[in-house]
Amino acid sequence: MSIIPYFFLVFSVVAIASYVILAIISAVETIEYMKKNSFINYKEILSSTFSPSISIIAPAYNESLNIVENVRSLLSSHYVNYDVIIVNDGSKDDSLSKLIKAYDLIQIDYLINEHIKTKPLRSGIYKSTNPAFDKLTVVDKKNGGKADALNMGLNISKSKYVACIDVDCLLLEDALQKLIKPFLETTDAKVIAAGGVIRIANSCTVKDGKLLDINFPKTWLEQGQILEYLRAFLLGRMAWSRLNGLLVISGAFGLFDKKIAIKVGGYDTNTVGEDMEIIVRMRRYMEDEKQKYKVAYIPDPLCWTEAPDNYKTFISQRNRWTRGTIETLKKHRKIGFNPKYKSLGLISYPYWLFFERLAPIIEVAGIIYFGILIFLDEVRWDYAFAFIIMAYLFSVLFSIVAIVSEELTYHQYKKKSIGLKLVMIAFLEPFVNHPTILYSAIRGNIDYYFYKKIEWGEMTRKGMTKA
Amino acid sequence: MSTIKKIVLAEDNSVLSLLLKFRLEKEGYKLLIAVNGKQAIELIEEYNPELILTDIMMPFVSGLEVISHVRNKLNLQTPIIVFSSAGQEEIVIKAFDLGATDFMSKPFSPHELVIRIKRLLL
Amino acid sequence: MNDNLHIFETLKHYPLTIQFVWALSCLFFIFIILLTIYLKYLRSHLRVNEKKEAKYQEVYESYLVTYLYAGNNEEVFSSEQQVIINELKKDVADPFKRKIIISTLLKLRSEISGEIGESIDKLYIKLGLLRYSLAKLRNKKWDVIATGIRELTQFKIKAVHKMVLNNINHPKREVRKEMQLYLVHLYGFNGLEFLNVLETPLSEWDQIQLLEILQLNNDTQVADIKPWLNSSNDSIVIFALKLAKVYNQFEAKEELITLLNHNSEDVRINVISALSHLHLFEATTILKNNFSERSEEEQIAFLKMMENVYEASDKPFLLEHVHHKNSEIRLSIMEILKNINFEEYTLYDDDIKKILTA
Repeated sequence: MSIIPYFFLVFSVVAIASYVILAIISAVETIEYMKKNSFINYKEILSSTFSPSISIIAPAYNESLNIVENVRSLLSSHYVNYDVIIVNDGSKDDSLSKLIKAYDLIQIDYLINEHIKTKPLRSGIYKSTNPAFDKLTVVDKKNGGKADALNMGLNISKSKYVACIDVDCLLLEDALQKLIKPFLETTDAKVIAAGGVIRIANSCTVKDGKLLDINFPKTWLEQGQILEYLRAFLLGRMAWSRLNGLLVISGAFGLFDKKIAIKVGGYDTNTVGEDMEIIVRMRRYMEDEKQKYKVAYIPDPLCWTEAPDNYKTFISQRNRWTRGTIETLKKHRKIGFNPKYKSLGLISYPYWLFFERLAPIIEVAGIIYFGILIFLDEVRWDYAFAFIIMAYLFSVLFSIVAIVSEELTYHQYKKKSIGLKLVMIAFLEPFVNHPTILYSAIRGNIDYYFYKKIEWGEMTRKGMTKA
Repeated sequence: MSTIKKIVLAEDNSVLSLLLKFRLEKEGYKLLIAVNGKQAIELIEEYNPELILTDIMMPFVSGLEVISHVRNKLNLQTPIIVFSSAGQEEIVIKAFDLGATDFMSKPFSPHELVIRIKRLLL
Repeated sequence: MNDNLHIFETLKHYPLTIQFVWALSCLFFIFIILLTIYLKYLRSHLRVNEKKEAKYQEVYESYLVTYLYAGNNEEVFSSEQQVIINELKKDVADPFKRKIIISTLLKLRSEISGEIGESIDKLYIKLGLLRYSLAKLRNKKWDVIATGIRELTQFKIKAVHKMVLNNINHPKREVRKEMQLYLVHLYGFNGLEFLNVLETPLSEWDQIQLLEILQLNNDTQVADIKPWLNSSNDSIVIFALKLAKVYNQFEAKEELITLLNHNSEDVRINVISALSHLHLFEATTILKNNFSERSEEEQIAFLKMMENVYEASDKPFLLEHVHHKNSEIRLSIMEILKNINFEEYTLYDDDIKKILTA
């Protein structure tokens, strides 16, 4: 009976140690990256016809509110050799007709090379009669979900690389140049996928597809998410990339080697965590083929996206993330603790298993155990109090380190009182967001084991704040 | 009563637009500067200039869209000179297809640009 | 005072673990306070700097433009220009302002060529900025050295190239790269001599940058790429193939055909692409003959090439492979057949319909 508290203790210590180690590695790597890129002239790759071809694939479902503007934004990237494929995944609204009207689209005959089986086309494939929009291809197909739509895009693309993006993600002009760089400059390994930083656009002013003003959102829920993203991106991902152990690239925006993505069979339509699952599958493929490879990550902000601003959507999103993680880890459990898969199996998989997938369960179990102890009046209050205070202060400190790192690197939140607000939410987050995250994770587990057939969930488009 | 000829310049490099403004205003033209394609279209619709200078690579509304808008939606025959960074042959061809009058690749000589402008505005 | 002593007294009676935990908590708390204060300071510092920078940028931009048009044909520097030079020289001594001046000059320099471009270069030297760039070359930190080389590249300073060349074996790849870019930027194809001795791989990124700079130079005298085609460094061979494509190096015909049997598949694919661009007939014949022995990637590359340079006499070859197991290859063949406009095409219409998802 007295082993139990030790179990929780060991778990917490290892968790904290891992956060600290990852943070330090991230900091070192980020400084190195910023030095290397301080004098890179991205304009050179921007205008080069020798730069490799990229297809931006954006699945769209009932995005009618902003779709025309989002597409225009995607079309104005400063990269030269790219095209945009919008996959209208059986939308029930007027997305397609809006696009046809705005971009002078007509239907064309197109021979699709069906590398991956997808749901069939609906009204077909469209291109513009206006040469100014000749980068645009719009595909109208029967509904099949995000993964299925992405696979259709993979089939249609004729480029070497594909960038999978959420259609409402506001892509920065030089995002493609920055993200293609790891693919082009790594000579000792094959880069199979790359991702960057996603920023939260809530309350930001967007006009004409351009980010005009960066504001801090009003609700604690949104503020907490910003803090969470800062911690994850600034103090976590960079380290994983360095250790070549990155298991996930944000589903909002990522760049992939098309051939390999197709070779492994494209996205899995049976999982809700398709963005993580395809990375694991691609990594596994490369390990099996015994080829030296890398999943890269750059700390530059690449795109801005809307985060859930109400609890219902937030919980649904985190629920989905939980189920996605469970599904992916379960599907690929063969690589777990398997020395054949080197760091993928011995470091990445175990870490994700314990500190991403099981952590919420262990935490809730800890709370329940604590509750039982209170009931049985067996609590050593001196120990409990000391530890709780320490854990809380550590989490606040960690968040503040993330905030300071952001200021030292990209300093995106320039307005006056935002610094203070960020510090405040660092103090509040453990009480506000964290419990909700725990709840959604538990629900995710319950839903996964007891209710297998839950849809992806629609997020009602509110539209970004207009100028 | 001779009217001053207006030129709309769409260019997001502030030094470059300042330089061109200085030079062209010395030659007697009036310069209206836009920092992106959308702004350029607004200026064109409001002031109906005698000449349009535009960079191809611009935020949100590209130079190509500006040309298309002027020729097809506004049905104007205003001479349009486009700038492009070296190597974008394909885009230049598209620009001409859409109705551009002339193009200069960057880096370019401002002197040369002025000569071409004068020729087009004779 | 007594209260504090009381707390410490109580604490000392607790087990070591708890003392340790409380010590950690205090440490964390102190750090939180310190970092928060630092954060406030940092943010206001950045904000102030940004405003300053924007202001100075405007000032320097207008100085620069006025300077460039204040010249006259008699003197090297007119009196108006001299006034501006003196003003700017005062600010050059301040590192913060110097950085903005250099970036303003660079902002314009990259867009302008001709007389005005040279005028900017001369201003760079006259303001004494050259000295600072050279000083950077002697710095210990690699990123400073690289920045220095880059500045010399952008202002086209040839005179110091011996100093730049000292970095040819610098341990950091970024410095060596900047040096290579310097050489090519200023000396065009002659600057590519380093390829003869380069042992490290030339990444795609490097190759693209070099190609772009070469294009900017409008060098008519193209270097002899044959020695590079025979290099033991595969990435150099690939780079030379790109050059062959861009500069239409028909003279290298023999070497290119020999390269069709190179060890590296990557090289072979690039050769096919170069040959297709040059429309070399002998190459098509050779490739048709050993088509089946080649890897699928090469077959795909060859057919992509054929889509542009097919001839009627290719028909038998195409029909031979029309049932290839790879769907991309089948599609390619059918595209070409369609273009050659044969009746046989209709026989394969069903096959096409199967592929087209309707």
